Amino acid sequence: MTQSAIVAEELTYQYNDLVAVDHISFSVAEGEILGFLGPNGAGKTTTVKMLTGQLRPQQGKAYLLGLDITKNVDKVQAEIGVCFEVTNLYEQMTAVENLNLFARLFDVRPFDAEALLERVGLLGRGHDRVETYSKGMKQRLMVARAILNRPRVLFLDEPTAGLDPTSAEAIRSVILEERTRGATVFLTTHDMMEADKLSDRVAFMNQARIVALDTPHNLKQKYGQRALKAKVVNRNGELEDRGVLMDTPDTPRLVEDLFASEKVVTIHSEEATLEDIFIRITGRGLVG
Amino acid sequence: MNSRHVVTLAQKDLAIFFRNRFFAVITVLGLIGFLVMYFVMPRSGDATLKLGLYVPVEVPVFEQLQEEGLAIERVASEDVVRQAVSDGRFIAGISLPADILARLLAGDRPTVRLFFAADTPQEAKDAVAAILQELGYRMTGRSLPIEVSEEVLGPDLAGTPLPPRVRLRPLLAVMLLMMETMGLATLISEEIERRTIHALLVTPATVADVFAAKGIAGMSLAFGQAALFMGIVGGLSQQPLVVLAALFLGAVLVIAAGFLIGAVAKDMLSVLGWSMPVIIILLIPSIGVAVPGSVTGWIRTLPTYYLVDAVHRASSFGAGWETVWQNLLILAGFDLVLAWLGVVFLRRRMR
Repeated sequence: MTQSAIVAEELTYQYNDLVAVDHISFSVAEGEILGFLGPNGAGKTTTVKMLTGQLRPQQGKAYLLGLDITKNVDKVQAEIGVCFEVTNLYEQMTAVENLNLFARLFDVRPFDAEALLERVGLLGRGHDRVETYSKGMKQRLMVARAILNRPRVLFLDEPTAGLDPTSAEAIRSVILEERTRGATVFLTTHDMMEADKLSDRVAFMNQARIVALDTPHNLKQKYGQRALKAKVVNRNGELEDRGVLMDTPDTPRLVEDLFASEKVVTIHSEEATLEDIFIRITGRGLVG
Repeated sequence: MNSRHVVTLAQKDLAIFFRNRFFAVITVLGLIGFLVMYFVMPRSGDATLKLGLYVPVEVPVFEQLQEEGLAIERVASEDVVRQAVSDGRFIAGISLPADILARLLAGDRPTVRLFFAADTPQEAKDAVAAILQELGYRMTGRSLPIEVSEEVLGPDLAGTPLPPRVRLRPLLAVMLLMMETMGLATLISEEIERRTIHALLVTPATVADVFAAKGIAGMSLAFGQAALFMGIVGGLSQQPLVVLAALFLGAVLVIAAGFLIGAVAKDMLSVLGWSMPVIIILLIPSIGVAVPGSVTGWIRTLPTYYLVDAVHRASSFGAGWETVWQNLLILAGFDLVLAWLGVVFLRRRMR
């Protein structure tokens, strides 16, 4: 049986009267990518802060690699990498200086900053000050900083938010490489396509609680509804959309009727997205 | 606390400090400017002697004693003149007994009490003696038959008169120290505002490492410059260890002030806004040394009074540990309290 890299038991945190995280429990296996989805204010970042030792849980326990985080912050932090949502690099320093600084803090020896920059597509810009970088370049450097100690658990908070497709793809490749290396990845994101593509399992967080946690496939099976989407030509010669729900007793008859009564131009099946499922479960969207 | 982390972070802080053109320029220009300021000041002193005088009876002849280079101010009591000399308002004080005229006429030798500040130069004491003689001639046409009782307020540091540049030396050294409050506060404020502190605190580096690194960076900048300045201008030629100890405690004060300002300021502009009043207030005691008599006793409530006084006594008069230990102890007390407050406020801000 695979050992859990992350275990959260009844984790709770409250800012004054606002309950940010309310008795959440879950575990993430070693080498697994967990997508952590939820709208702004759902409690994702507070959860990450508790799991990375930045906040002490007010109730409940959190274990990383079998260690109680509150009692072993130093040991835990030596084994993790964190990529923050907000850019927090030393912008007056070069990329190489930024990486060397953190490599010294993690005592990574020998350390090859250039090789790491090549992995994230920044080779050749290592000696430029970070303040001259684009947002995408900064984000790639943040990811490079998060993985420089070859972390056993990698926390990524919205790593591709607002990035151009090239930068986003470069970061997704690094995430998959890290998983292949054996790292556990805790991926916080708004992007359900990204979560769907990268995650072994996804957790939906809403109003401080986890409301669903499973593989994307199982969630779609459980909450989603497959449908056939067709384009037909109407009497005026214009294209119109038609839809037929699948997996119902009437589906065969409805498909037959569609072909008999309409001139079907295209037809394909369509699965529910994670966003559809999130809305179905929580009654609200992921953004906002 | 991990020394490798602390050194790494302090190196980073110093690198970032000198990449901020504003701070790099004011640091270098400040040091050069203060050195120039010191060397263009006259080598010898020509100060007006400000004397306090307590005369309980009307003696019109005193009104005629105002001469060039001499400023005499009458005060209400002997206690007032003693306190004013002690506070540095007067370089010396004279207190005449109420029955001076009667006793002189009766052929007695009344006692005149003289008060001198600890650092009153010998020439000023000689001048006061000469004034008394002048007074006698004007009153009686002959030398006054009086007994003189001298009281030095604080340890007697009398010596040669101090040239203006030497009086200015503690002011410039303390200004160099205090200027670094802004630099350190900016380093701290930016670390928090740009959230780089969060990136550091998910590594094996701890909050204590970060604080220690900031302290070392602030110490290097403040103490380093002030010690270099004092070395160049000859401020370490007497009692170097005492002067360096005082500057070290002054640098700790700067670090504490930097922590406090860094905890409340949001950006470089607000750092400037908070720093300027703090620095100006803390510099007031130095002005008291540079311009004797320009400030009163309330400056003893400021921690820099004990810094400046110790630096001044040690570097200008060669005062040793036995003379300035109380100053250093009080300064260390201020340091402890302010540093503790700085850490508390900063920890709160970092949350």
